[in-house]
Amino acid sequence: MSNHSQAHPAHLQHHFVDSDQQFDAAKMGMWVFIVNEILFFGGLFCAYIVFRAWYPDLFTMAATKLDTTMGAINTVVLIGSSLSVAMAIRAAQLNKTKWIKINLLITITLACVFLVIKYFEYSHKMHDGIFPGATLYTYEGIDHPLAHVFFSIYYVMTGIHAIHIIVGIGLMIWIYIRAKRNEFGSEYYTPVEMVGLYWHLVDVIWIFLFPLLYLIE
Amino acid sequence: MATAEVSNKKTLKVQRFKPSDNPSNTYLTDEKGVWAWMTTVDHKKIGIMYLVAVAIFFAVGGALALLLRTELMTPAKTFIEADTYNQLFTLHGAIMVFFVLVPSIPAALGNFIMPMQLGAKDVAFPKLNLASFYIYVAGAIFTFIALAQHGLDTGWTFYTPYSTESSSSVIWVTMGVFILGFSSILTGTNFITTIHKMRAPGITWGKLPLNVWALYATSIIQVLATPVLAITVLLLTMERWLGFGIFDPALGGDPVLFQHFFWFYSHPAVYIMIVPGFGIISEVISTFSKKTVFGYWAIALSSLAIAFIGFLVWGHHMFTSGQSAVATTVFSFLTFLVGIPTGIKIFNWIATLYKGSIKMDTPMIYVFIFLFLFSIGGFTGIMLGALSVDIHLHDTYYVVAHFHYVMMGGTLIALLAGLHFWWPKMTGKLYNEKLAKIASVFIFVGFNVTFLPQFVMGAQGMPRRYYNYVDQFTAFHQTSTIGSYLLGVGFLIILYYLMHSLFKGAKSPANPWGSRGLEWQATSPPDFHNFDHTPVVIHGPYDYHQPMEEFQLGLAVDTNGHDSETAKEVVDKEREQWKNYSLG
Amino acid sequence: MILSEDKTMSEHNHHEHHVSSVGQLWAIGIALTLLTILTVGLSHVEIPAPFDVVVALTVAFVKAFLVCAFFMNLYWDTKFNSMLLIGAFAFFILMVAVTLLDTLYRNDVVPSF
Ligand code: HEM
Ligand SMILES: [Cu+2]
Repeated sequence: MSNHSQAHPAHLQHHFVDSDQQFDAAKMGMWVFIVNEILFFGGLFCAYIVFRAWYPDLFTMAATKLDTTMGAINTVVLIGSSLSVAMAIRAAQLNKTKWIKINLLITITLACVFLVIKYFEYSHKMHDGIFPGATLYTYEGIDHPLAHVFFSIYYVMTGIHAIHIIVGIGLMIWIYIRAKRNEFGSEYYTPVEMVGLYWHLVDVIWIFLFPLLYLIE
Repeated sequence: MATAEVSNKKTLKVQRFKPSDNPSNTYLTDEKGVWAWMTTVDHKKIGIMYLVAVAIFFAVGGALALLLRTELMTPAKTFIEADTYNQLFTLHGAIMVFFVLVPSIPAALGNFIMPMQLGAKDVAFPKLNLASFYIYVAGAIFTFIALAQHGLDTGWTFYTPYSTESSSSVIWVTMGVFILGFSSILTGTNFITTIHKMRAPGITWGKLPLNVWALYATSIIQVLATPVLAITVLLLTMERWLGFGIFDPALGGDPVLFQHFFWFYSHPAVYIMIVPGFGIISEVISTFSKKTVFGYWAIALSSLAIAFIGFLVWGHHMFTSGQSAVATTVFSFLTFLVGIPTGIKIFNWIATLYKGSIKMDTPMIYVFIFLFLFSIGGFTGIMLGALSVDIHLHDTYYVVAHFHYVMMGGTLIALLAGLHFWWPKMTGKLYNEKLAKIASVFIFVGFNVTFLPQFVMGAQGMPRRYYNYVDQFTAFHQTSTIGSYLLGVGFLIILYYLMHSLFKGAKSPANPWGSRGLEWQATSPPDFHNFDHTPVVIHGPYDYHQPMEEFQLGLAVDTNGHDSETAKEVVDKEREQWKNYSLG
Repeated sequence: MILSEDKTMSEHNHHEHHVSSVGQLWAIGIALTLLTILTVGLSHVEIPAPFDVVVALTVAFVKAFLVCAFFMNLYWDTKFNSMLLIGAFAFFILMVAVTLLDTLYRNDVVPSF
């Protein structure tokens, strides 16, 4: 309540005492949300671990069908997008609205690149008859009765991750529009930072998905 | 005081704000009309909307229960088909768990009361709060679509492989539950942040009302467990839709893994249901004994302990499922541990009563009913946690009786205690004490007549979820059915006098119970911003030995930060801002 | 009436938000890329059974640490947010560990029905 005698800034919502309280609350809320996301993906990782412990051969055999190069490129693409989002936050902190926008555009572009590569990976597999679930799965090349289970896990993990990427793109477009309206600066950049946190989380999840799915030999 | 210390100490100028017994402006008089209600971000209105929704679902779930009990009047078919019976018990369970008990106390009463107990104007994220209500509604719509299609007959637990084979509309309901889960997650996220960041000056962790501690523990469970439910029902949907092969044994999956996933959420979820009830009990018991709660920290921290241990015991639902012997043994042992923090609470409540000036108003009557019924439920839980005993009792009416004693005898009775306790605060009206007491007798007697026989027949081997039964159990079932009618009458009486109170009831003063709780230092019903000052707290919430004036402090008006403005102007200005503060 | 209050509890001290330098951010980005190359490289080296996973996960954890600490600013943030992250991870481990207690110790991997 220290500097309450100043007029209320425009971004300050009525139920907060000051901008600091608002920022801290938003940030903490975001971290609690990240806890959620970890447990959400945690369920998938748990299924992965249980099945891998049961059928190590299945995982070694089936993972050869995944394209390591594409996976690795996508990893680097996501790292790049994480970097650019961090740069966008820095630009906001330093009042450089132009650079917020440029960095957001870079991030959005990289996110789209990720999705395009993912699309090629998926369509390549589906072309071979590798679909999620036993109903559609027709591929004969993997000599294991449970091959479809591996790919169910693969598709659901990467698929939900991809949905997070799409949501992230949406959020970044929203932030971009607001940046264009000059809403952010060193005084107020909470939404930029929150979307940044979300985006980094998506990156972290991929950091684990990549070795666990693509790098099994 | 040395200047060096000043950085860490702040001097607040306070004055007394006695709440008016005749407020001219309340949250009910501001922002009127259906549209204003539907788009409000006021935590109090959202709480009321949840309360109405939960009450409607409770009525539906209750009606289903009465149909079920009526069908069980006779050993063979009484008046409905076996398939219909399966659908009815599934819907009854799913509605009562997901749509009533989980949101009931936190989202309805908690939403209304908790920010007031913190002296805050609102929760940390008011728009998110409204969003979670609509997500709840969306989840409900999905479930109703399922009803209109082929219903659901898997039981509320959705066990595979039956849930992947059943011809009923499983996917609609799982999607409904998936959506509903997000409502619960968002409420939890919101509450954790609110409790950390929105406390009024002076409310240290040691001065938090126990209700807030309970909601804090609940929110932690919600945030940690609910995402796993979401992923579970999502995988189940995929299993049914595409044949994933993770849960379906015919495709190489493991149905027991489904049970692990499901109970990783659903055991903690039983604590999502009961822990907020514990919070209400602590508030009511102290108010109506006019005494500091005994063992404040023991009660506060045991909620957290329950939240934690609650994550380690889920396998006690799977003792007969083919789970490994090591796991069953460990789970059985850990299950006993849950009894400890729960017992700690009960003993501290009893000690609070000791030498208190106990006043047997309706909320307090429900507290005693709670203590009695919940203890039975808890003890029978420990019985079921014993591995060898559970092999005999699993999937019998003994389990049904156990969880009704904890869920209805515990959570629902606590909800009734809280509803009667805070009703004057929420509506500004008093209700008919005499009718309320009569209703509580119906509920107590009806409850025991319904569920006590179920322990006996369960122990004698009556399986749960059965449409027919052997003649031996007829007397038990008929007693149980009669009890359920008594319960129904009890709830109708409650509905009657609460509605009467709402429309014709006498006006309530600001603090009819003489409580020291901060929420009672606002007017009844509260102002739009809960308080028109910033409350300052210097005593613990249960310090009944301190004079009432010292619980009514707020930042003195002229140093409220708005140096040049008078108190009235401050309030008006913020009201203005509030009006512009709309959705989107 | 005048009260003095312990400021640490319900007050929010005004603090400066950390601003990372461009060099810092790029350094993290480059380190992450190098670690990615490392982990791909290591996947071609023959490492006996459980240790290949251990190595891959170790690299992944280092990468995740870099992102969380320096991109997500946990290094400069209140300790509570780090605690949330660690807590979430602990509960995930708990879920996996206790589930494995069953799945690894069954008589039949998938009981026949
Ligand atoms: C002292 C604490 C408790 C213990 C030790 C305990 C123990 C148990 C055990 C071992 C079972 C499994 C019985 C079986 O299926 O064979 C069970 C079932 C159940 N318990 Fe509890 N319980 C406790 C408290 C609670 C509370 C507080 C609630 C809810 C508010 C609750 C709700 C349930 C439900 C819903 C089931 C049955 C689920 C189903 O199969 O449909 N329990 N309990
Ligand atoms: Cu349980």
